[in-house]
Amino acid sequence: MDFDLVEKIVKRSKELGADDVVAIGEEFRKWQIKFVNNRIATGMSSYGNEVSLFVSKDKRIGVTTIKNLSKRNIEESISKLLRFTRKMQPNPEYYGIASGPFRYKVVEGIYDGRIGKLEERAVDFVESGINAALQEGATRASGVLRYNIKSEFLVTSNNVTATERSSGIYFSIRALADKDASGHKVCCSTSLSDFSPEKAGSEAGRIAKMALNPVMGDAGRYDVIFDPYPFANLLNIVMDSASIFSVEAGFSFFTGKLNKRVASNLVTLVDDGRMPRCLSSSKCDAEGVPTRRNVVIEKGVLKTYLHNTSTAKKYGVKTTANAGLLAPKPWNAILEKGKHKEEELFKEVKKGLYITNLWYTRFQNYERGDFSTIPRDGIFLVEKGEIKKSLKGIRLSDNMLRMLQNLAGISRKQEQILGWEVEIPVITPHVLVKAVQVTKPE
Amino acid sequence: MGVFMEELADFAVNYAVGRGADYAEARAERSEGTSFSVKNGVLHAAGFEREEGIGIRLIVGGAMRFVSTNELNKKVITELIDRAVRSGRSSARIASKINFSKAPREKAEYEVKQRVRSSDVDSKGKIEELFEIEGELKESKLSIPARFFSLSDEVLCKYFVNSEGTRIKSTIPYVGFYSLITVSEKGQTAQRSIQLGETGGWEIVKGWSLPSRVLEEAKAVYNNLKNGKPAPKGKVDVVAAPEVVGIAMHESVGHPYEADRILGREAAQAGESFMTPEMIGKRIAKEFVDVVDDPTVPGSAGYFLFDDEGVRARRKYLIKNGVINELLHNRETAFSLNTESNGSARAMDYACEPIVRMSNTFLLPGELSEEEIIEEVKLGVYMKSFMEWNIDDKRVNERYVGCEAYLIEKGEITHPVKKPVLETTTFDFFSSIDAVGDEVGYYAGTCGKGEPMQGVPVWMGGPVVKLKGVRLG
Repeated sequence: MDFDLVEKIVKRSKELGADDVVAIGEEFRKWQIKFVNNRIATGMSSYGNEVSLFVSKDKRIGVTTIKNLSKRNIEESISKLLRFTRKMQPNPEYYGIASGPFRYKVVEGIYDGRIGKLEERAVDFVESGINAALQEGATRASGVLRYNIKSEFLVTSNNVTATERSSGIYFSIRALADKDASGHKVCCSTSLSDFSPEKAGSEAGRIAKMALNPVMGDAGRYDVIFDPYPFANLLNIVMDSASIFSVEAGFSFFTGKLNKRVASNLVTLVDDGRMPRCLSSSKCDAEGVPTRRNVVIEKGVLKTYLHNTSTAKKYGVKTTANAGLLAPKPWNAILEKGKHKEEELFKEVKKGLYITNLWYTRFQNYERGDFSTIPRDGIFLVEKGEIKKSLKGIRLSDNMLRMLQNLAGISRKQEQILGWEVEIPVITPHVLVKAVQVTKPE
Repeated sequence: MGVFMEELADFAVNYAVGRGADYAEARAERSEGTSFSVKNGVLHAAGFEREEGIGIRLIVGGAMRFVSTNELNKKVITELIDRAVRSGRSSARIASKINFSKAPREKAEYEVKQRVRSSDVDSKGKIEELFEIEGELKESKLSIPARFFSLSDEVLCKYFVNSEGTRIKSTIPYVGFYSLITVSEKGQTAQRSIQLGETGGWEIVKGWSLPSRVLEEAKAVYNNLKNGKPAPKGKVDVVAAPEVVGIAMHESVGHPYEADRILGREAAQAGESFMTPEMIGKRIAKEFVDVVDDPTVPGSAGYFLFDDEGVRARRKYLIKNGVINELLHNRETAFSLNTESNGSARAMDYACEPIVRMSNTFLLPGELSEEEIIEEVKLGVYMKSFMEWNIDDKRVNERYVGCEAYLIEKGEITHPVKKPVLETTTFDFFSSIDAVGDEVGYYAGTCGKGEPMQGVPVWMGGPVVKLKGVRLG
């Protein structure tokens, strides 16, 4: 893969009659170690390259990904895409892509070449995470270490060229101290410099030990302190809901809420493609528009949806530089930090819960925001600011907008989170939400 | 598929064995298809995909390694295998010793025929299917402010080869549909998502009658929104229709019976299981309850005749006569539990390792008609479809919130009820099954598991069942 190849693809698409063309070449190397019950179960490596291609012709749009980069296949794919696109119905809501050239500022700290050369050190990382969990009292630990390097080449028909290298490393560990006592932590980074699987293992082990001997929880309304990991699960969904695609298609609880209060005034939620050392950060979006800091919710008020050039024109606003190949997508979700220490959040709670992981968040109605989600791993009853006992068997069954509006406290230390169900990087502190509805099987 | 990719897969296996692998397998895959989506009456996306790649798994010094690439040349493949062999040896100090259960050597080639090849259907005709739904909804005058429909087709060719002499070639075409509609009435909204999927050609899409099917769903949602009364709370009988039964079979039978979860391999992802190998032989339901996982159902979303380890597929009775009977195994878990693989290894694509998966999981039919089951209910709820659902990571605590649902009074359906909430446990659900209908309905889904997340097409289903005296919240 090289820059010339991507330029040639754009040039050839134009020769064959395309109006707008976006080509994004990507070359990647990915590795993963999966460990189970303190032992490595599998090591995985994947090498690949591909070019994602978007074309428009008379307001008709078509996309493909070219994964076989032989000359013959590239020519066939471009020709086929143009023939395919000409047969489409015009999209009256398509208003084109951004025009360059643009000047880019490098995003700090998104590439660490050492990640591509980890080799045996990767095994050391895994071992240190497992050992840390065991030292805290866990009897077994499972999870993954995942790491990758990537080079991207963007060329469009509108005077845009950009290249970028990035890297990422992610460690997820679930420690178990007993059948019903577990803790789960993740750590992730773009660089080895601030990557500590040992710390994640230690915290997972500590939660697992705290979670020993759980009793069934009771239904009711509770003030809930969310660890960054579970709250990231919810903020991922919140930020997805801000994409104009989600709003239009019915997947958002922010429909009709622009410039209205959607959260407590403590909530300022940002999408920032330029965030240094953040796993998805990039200097530009898929059209080449330089990325920026978008304040999506400012002191509780929804200030913008996430747009590309075309959707922005439709709504008479400016692009927020969130273009994906087809639809706008968030770069990340950053909840601005608060003023409290974690301990101070706990002191606010007379009777509540401390939740360290969530999964299986599903909506009854996205547009209303009615949903439920299941706490897993350490769940703790908090009384008068102190953890009293370990619980199990409960579910949070509430409404996303009501929970955002009931957000009553944010700690001052943020963590970057990725996870099995957290697909965009989320940077969030600990959070206190008042009066969350808890249900359970009767 | 092409001879070149088959030769490359053969080369990979031979090369890995030559480098000291105790076992090696390669899966060369080629897929091609199109996809379209229409959002609020506008063609939102249209595209085609053609993908080729190879996934190679080997056991070296007892350690398992998996590598994949779409760079189809011997240089990249040998580099990946060399690296895998090196890392297998260097991690030996903390690696699990992996063994596979014995499996017969197989040689086979099979193909699911398309009566109408999806690739022969003009893309205009494919899009028309989605715009016809738009037209039907518009004509109905229902208020449906958000409408999203997508339609896709794909043909997947696979060549599997391993160092034990097994060679399987398959060609499986698939078509899928998804929609989310938001229906409104006097400022209130309700939503319904529909997913369909089958193996076969475009004739299946035609048979789905999408415009009338989606319209029927929209009308039911509107009726519920306009005329629905609060659902009863407390202990009542619930008649669960095939869609609700299907999701329960998938979540509370299929998943917990996956042997890799039971052995802890999925602990940090989709979780573990309430099930233990010692529970095989224990009663969990009345004697007329049989739940199977069966990849050999013709036309099904989870169809295959050989799994992604080259093991012949078969129907597995997970629950037989109300008794826990069998787990889902691949060769690794089968060896660990001293049994044989029952052909349950699946990988999402060439870039993913094969892991234990469901295919089509469903409750087998009984002898009663739906009418006979409803007639027996004095006070209850008929839950025809659901929106929200979830289950804990051990597969015990589960919840289904009804979308289309009705009150049953004295054996008759009387009026729609809004959002009945069945929040129960797997054990209570199964012990409350009091009657089983005589006609199975199947519903398509995309099942997620593994890391990186692997989504594979499945069917889930069953007949209508009566759950006696369960609590609605």
